[in-house]
Amino acid sequence: MSDRLKDRVCVVTGAARGIGLAIAERFGREGGRLAAVDVSARRLEPPVEGLNAKGLEARGYAVDVGRREDVHAMFARVEAEFAAPVGALVNNAVWARFQPLAELDPETAERMFAVGVQGLFWTMQAAAPQMERRGGGSIVNLSSVSAYHPAKDSVAYSALKAGVVGLTRAAAMELSPKRIRVNVVCPGMIGTPASIAQFDEATIETRQAEMPLGRFGAPEEIASIAAFLASDEASYMQGAVIVADGGWTVPAR
Amino acid sequence: MRRLEGKRAVVTGGGSGIGRASAIRFAREGAAVLVAGRAANTNETVEVIRADGGIASSMITDASKEENVAAIVERCVNELGGLEVFFANIGVTGTNTPLLEQTVEEWEEVYRINTISCFLAIKYAGRHMTAKRYGSIILTSSAASLRANAGAISYSASKAAVNNLAQTAANAFAGTGVRVNAVLPGLVETQLTRKVFEDARARGIEGKLGHVTPLKRPGRAEEIAAAAAFLARDDSSYVDGQLLSVDGGVSSTHPYGRIALPS
Repeated sequence: MSDRLKDRVCVVTGAARGIGLAIAERFGREGGRLAAVDVSARRLEPPVEGLNAKGLEARGYAVDVGRREDVHAMFARVEAEFAAPVGALVNNAVWARFQPLAELDPETAERMFAVGVQGLFWTMQAAAPQMERRGGGSIVNLSSVSAYHPAKDSVAYSALKAGVVGLTRAAAMELSPKRIRVNVVCPGMIGTPASIAQFDEATIETRQAEMPLGRFGAPEEIASIAAFLASDEASYMQGAVIVADGGWTVPAR
Repeated sequence: MRRLEGKRAVVTGGGSGIGRASAIRFAREGAAVLVAGRAANTNETVEVIRADGGIASSMITDASKEENVAAIVERCVNELGGLEVFFANIGVTGTNTPLLEQTVEEWEEVYRINTISCFLAIKYAGRHMTAKRYGSIILTSSAASLRANAGAISYSASKAAVNNLAQTAANAFAGTGVRVNAVLPGLVETQLTRKVFEDARARGIEGKLGHVTPLKRPGRAEEIAAAAAFLARDDSSYVDGQLLSVDGGVSSTHPYGRIALPS
């Protein structure tokens, strides 16, 4: 393909499936050395084996990104095992439930924000010194069009994803002097098995008809954006938001 | 690197700055490029591409005029065999005449070159691309389109119109497979901004340029070209109707360098 990420140690969270796995594979094909992170060791093992079988260098790290000490320990391990500091970080892991406001409970809210917002604090906090030591790096965060255009029952999810945009921009300011770029991707409806399973066929057809491109996106179409942002091609992009929703949120309706 | 292999691309304003860098970049990624521009430096861009082993043709024309844009598209299709990418990139800065003294003539000129040129690109490239059900149209906007004080008033307003055009055209082309997006550069040294850079050099304050951006420097034309190439490629196949800021972070922040926060 190309070698835009050649020899770069790339940490991808939520890498066991869906968009995260597509990102890991794309980064690997562009020459990246992959630290694939997921909360579940059992879930992580087959895809890491799959990446290795494709000739890509990948190691699995079963870590809950919501736990600060575990995240810091993992980044130290990654640097030791790859014998190089981390150069790229993709924050893709999320844990989400969609509930009406009236039914939202503290356990759900805490878990969602521990993984989807605080998790990003800890990974960025641990990655930044390593990136600084190698002369810079790139962080790509995954938000959602829900940050701007809430879906049904998404009080917590919309807040979470709006938070990701805010923390991305603040981190971009703070980490600029260390030559670390931080940008954010907002996918729309992406056709992963988990997202497709939420809808019946009629709903899927209605949704697709609402989109100028007329279809759900593929995980690979988010991975190609993440690879661009992680690479030096995006060297003047800082605190930027890339929406990838097939034009879904462009028209007013 | 040849990720635009087989694509045919038009770049307007291709004689210098972002247009030249983009034409070179598209060609290096494998596209055949029709480079359009008003001045003879358009030919130099083509020479650079050919010397590099790329495929390019030159067309000296004013891409703000309807018949010319129609001719650009026709020539690209006839000579290069098709048209998959159109980068509408011509622009003028407008003047810093005080707002209360500005004239309709100046505004019409700025709008014709900055905004109507984009409409024409969408109209003529769009006719070909929607028929083929494939294509990417990229419009050059500006960080000045989002807020005041990053350019002349007529310039800022004309670029805000370009942003809206990217969105409304993407919506108008729903279901056709044609994508329309805008790229929003920050401060970059080009023909348009040369005076800013020359003045700063003359005053010995070149290092201050871009100091309000988080990356603390102006951008390079090649860095905008890389973003335009991303929008041209299938790498951005699910990106439609979007405004892509390539500005070192300036649009994502307040000018924090100037604000004294309470300690």
